[in-house]
Amino acid sequence: MSGLDVNKSNNPSTLAPAKRENKMLRFLNSKKVAPYIFVFPFILSFSVLTLYPTIQAFIMSFQRILPGQVEFIGLQNYQRIFNQTFYKALANSTIFMLLTVLILVTVPIILAILLDSRLVKFKTFFRSALFIPALTSIVVAGVIFRLVFSESDQAIANQIVGFFGFDPIRWQFTAWSGMFLMVMMASWRWMGVNVLYFLAGLQNIPKELYESAEIDGANIYQRFTNVTLPFLKPIIIFVTTISIIGGFRVFEESYVIWQGTSPGNIGLTLVGMLYQQGIQQNDMGFGAAIGVILLILIFVVSIIYLLLTGAFKRGDE
Amino acid sequence: MRKNNTLAKWIANSAFILIAFIALFPLLSLIISSFRPSSELMRNGISFSINWSELSLRNYIHIFTDSPSYWQWYGNSLIISTLTIVLSLFFSSMVGYALAVYKFRGRNLLFLFVLVIIMIPFEILMLPLYQLMINLNVINTYTGVMLPLIVAPIAVFFFRQYAMGLPTELMDSARIDGCTEYGIFFRIMAPLMLPSFSAMAILQGLNSWNNFLWPLLVIRSNDLFTLPIGLATLLTPYGNNYDTLIAGSVMTIIPIIILFIFFQRYFVAGLASGSVKG
Amino acid sequence: MKKKTLSALSPLSLSLVLVLAACSGGEDAAESSEADEVEVAGSDIEDATELTFWTFAGTHATFFANAADRWNEENPDNPIQLTAETYPFDQMHNNLLMALQSGSGAPDLADIELAKFSNFLRGDVQLEPLNDLIEPELDGFMEERLNIYAKDGNYYGAPTHLGASVVYYNTEIMDQAGVDIDSIETWDDYVEAGQTVVEATGKPMTTIADNWYGIWPYVVQKGSDFFDENGELTLDNEENIETLQFIDDLVNEYEIAELAPGGGYHSEEFYGFMNDGGQASLVIPMFYMKDFTTYMPDLEGKIQIRPMPTWSDSDIQTVTMGGTGTSVISQSENTDLAKEFLYFAKMSKEGNIQLWKELGFDPPRWDVWEDEEMREDNVYYQYFHDDIFDILLGIRDNVGGIQINEYTPDVLTEIDTNIMHNVLREQNQTPEEALKQSADTIRQKIGN
Repeated sequence: MSGLDVNKSNNPSTLAPAKRENKMLRFLNSKKVAPYIFVFPFILSFSVLTLYPTIQAFIMSFQRILPGQVEFIGLQNYQRIFNQTFYKALANSTIFMLLTVLILVTVPIILAILLDSRLVKFKTFFRSALFIPALTSIVVAGVIFRLVFSESDQAIANQIVGFFGFDPIRWQFTAWSGMFLMVMMASWRWMGVNVLYFLAGLQNIPKELYESAEIDGANIYQRFTNVTLPFLKPIIIFVTTISIIGGFRVFEESYVIWQGTSPGNIGLTLVGMLYQQGIQQNDMGFGAAIGVILLILIFVVSIIYLLLTGAFKRGDE
Repeated sequence: MRKNNTLAKWIANSAFILIAFIALFPLLSLIISSFRPSSELMRNGISFSINWSELSLRNYIHIFTDSPSYWQWYGNSLIISTLTIVLSLFFSSMVGYALAVYKFRGRNLLFLFVLVIIMIPFEILMLPLYQLMINLNVINTYTGVMLPLIVAPIAVFFFRQYAMGLPTELMDSARIDGCTEYGIFFRIMAPLMLPSFSAMAILQGLNSWNNFLWPLLVIRSNDLFTLPIGLATLLTPYGNNYDTLIAGSVMTIIPIIILFIFFQRYFVAGLASGSVKG
Repeated sequence: MKKKTLSALSPLSLSLVLVLAACSGGEDAAESSEADEVEVAGSDIEDATELTFWTFAGTHATFFANAADRWNEENPDNPIQLTAETYPFDQMHNNLLMALQSGSGAPDLADIELAKFSNFLRGDVQLEPLNDLIEPELDGFMEERLNIYAKDGNYYGAPTHLGASVVYYNTEIMDQAGVDIDSIETWDDYVEAGQTVVEATGKPMTTIADNWYGIWPYVVQKGSDFFDENGELTLDNEENIETLQFIDDLVNEYEIAELAPGGGYHSEEFYGFMNDGGQASLVIPMFYMKDFTTYMPDLEGKIQIRPMPTWSDSDIQTVTMGGTGTSVISQSENTDLAKEFLYFAKMSKEGNIQLWKELGFDPPRWDVWEDEEMREDNVYYQYFHDDIFDILLGIRDNVGGIQINEYTPDVLTEIDTNIMHNVLREQNQTPEEALKQSADTIRQKIGN
């Protein structure tokens, strides 16, 4: 409120002639209105480009959609979903999500703290090295992984396996190795990005806090839990949330390895099933229904997570 | 104490050398492989043992002389990514900032919406969005490719988280100095958020550069293809074109690496002059 | 003061940015669409009617561009400008579906692959029937092939080849094992010969693909299929279980077959394996000749083509498999011209001869098989042998066709993902269990 008062007393002297304009400007500048102007373009684009299509998709999930023939079929699409294939996709997506959250949250925190400390030299180089895989397009990553993990015994992965005296593995054909490939690819590509998130967060921690903690005799572990973690919390919440969501939404990793159909559905994910049924097989209503289920699933899991971590409260207000 | 420290340094540095090696190894092997005959490569995969005599510049000569489309894809990707970065950062930073520093009606609801958008799998929006693009008459244009990426909920989320760490006292003193709410954002707070801008610029750039499914749907003609789509057209079982694929993949990565290394100086500078100092 | 202006301007500048962005995109697109990177034929002719063709195979794009050039020579009064766009396989079909679903954005002509074709026959079919072109000359065509792209008596696709399944024998290996390939007449003979080969050379008689190439030809040859004439699902019938059991036995009982490296016959791993003399024989349609000449140069002169061995209870000697149909899209503003051109390019006698000469495909019109132009020497005759079409003529009356309906893609997906994998690779299901389970899944879908 104090800001507005100051404006009132200052402005007449500088902007006396244009009184109506002034009033308009003052209205636009009020603390009540400003946030709405800040968010307006987003709300506009969001409504047109996301909300509207989402509503359409919801409607589609109750329809059978064929060229020239669209009819409402009630809950039939939903009744069909819960079969063997769906559970397989659900299991794959969930396992992938859990593994990537585990790897892509804990490891980057440690790496970021080390990179931020005085222990490591050549920080710029290491930071770049970690980040560079993220610059690789998923298509290129797919090419590399297929070549490195080729079933030929002369490919690198099998050369390593052979070095330890094991038989060559047909990486793209068994369940565990298929999951391993997907998690590896995601971790490889996103590790550096998450390290950057945490590094940016670490810059917010006042160095004096560490110093005073050190003076108070706190050891490394205590400094980590009492100083670093609380300050990193918003970023940790952020990274974990997008990893949960991204994990459930996994598709491209599977797509570039198997091009849609994997043996025994070892690489089938929920979005993969949506893509296969809804788009490849032209059953868009059914695909939309899978999408709605997926949306509810992601929504429930991440809201629970956010509630547990208290992300909706403005911490220090 | 000192001895302890040296040991820790040793361990940390060697760990990082190993990690950097793992991170870079796939790309290095791709680069080396790009000098090998490409069909042989597709048959046997990337191997540790290199037959030096079979290495040649053939693949590169091929993409520089025989693949004019490749460079066109390159240009398209550059233009689309640049525009996407600028537009999406502009929009999302304002929203993230407003969500963090203002108390207003509907704030929590809006934040919830942001989270919900992150959760919506793009694939279910594809058909409705596609129809929308037809109605807007932007099929087969750059605009059509960029539009959905301009709504960048992850960036909004990140900016919000970041702006929450900004010192609110600065705002009050700025108001006393006669700054408008917008002035506060553009002249004081946005510069403080610079590190987050760099991070999000990189992220949005990546999303756009690597975007695959959507441009595939919107773009109709070969001369508007982006790099990932162009490369994917080379990967069909009907008439393989691995010569361009492997060398082309390498050429996709190298320039952005250079750009990133260059950009990183600013990124680091941004980090150093981070918000806490102001 | 300065700050005031800034605040007032920011919403404005924002909308400006939006407008600017919208403009620049549109303009760029318009300007660059004239670039010459795509296959365009007839671009130098004034008043030529523009036609667009989508395909997933670069060779098909070239084939159509050449056809357009010939068309323009022969029809100077009705020229066309053909733009042939090549997309990734999956995306081309998806984009086409989307375009048909939403009613705009489709090309005039498009290639649709066999496994995808029935997706396009659902609802109100958005493809033009080609009956008026085909029916007058129906006798000249192998009808089994035309029927693949047909629904309710309408032909919607112009075939690219007959795709007659045959066996390619590697004579080097067969000779080493001392087996005369002409003595192999039945599948029992084949198994026996296979055992001799494995014993003598240590190499597998054949490899089985994890996908439908590893079962469909054998099933049809046995007189069965995945659907009967009435469209009833027969995936888990007695003949199919027997057939899959036979395939399973080739791999896991007689051990004369292995699983194909790379999972299928179109992977580089497989090309390398085959080229290095990895297996004695391969069952695949005639169109694979092109793969041999392109990817397996070392086998030149060593490969002999023969009809498939027969089952004791069926006299079908070959099965039409794989293959792409080219369709005219109803959205096109020039459907008549597009149809005429399609006839010219792929369905006329001349077009069929070009399919052989340019692409190495066995033409779907048998009435050109004896044509002199067909018998002119080319790379395929040099790589294989001279009597390729005499073999085809000999088995012309015993060709098995396949039944396609709207659930075929579901069946093929089940085969590619579950059936072959579980039975052959993992061996955790018997052929009967696997087929029954998949059939139940699909019946559930049909029931809805």
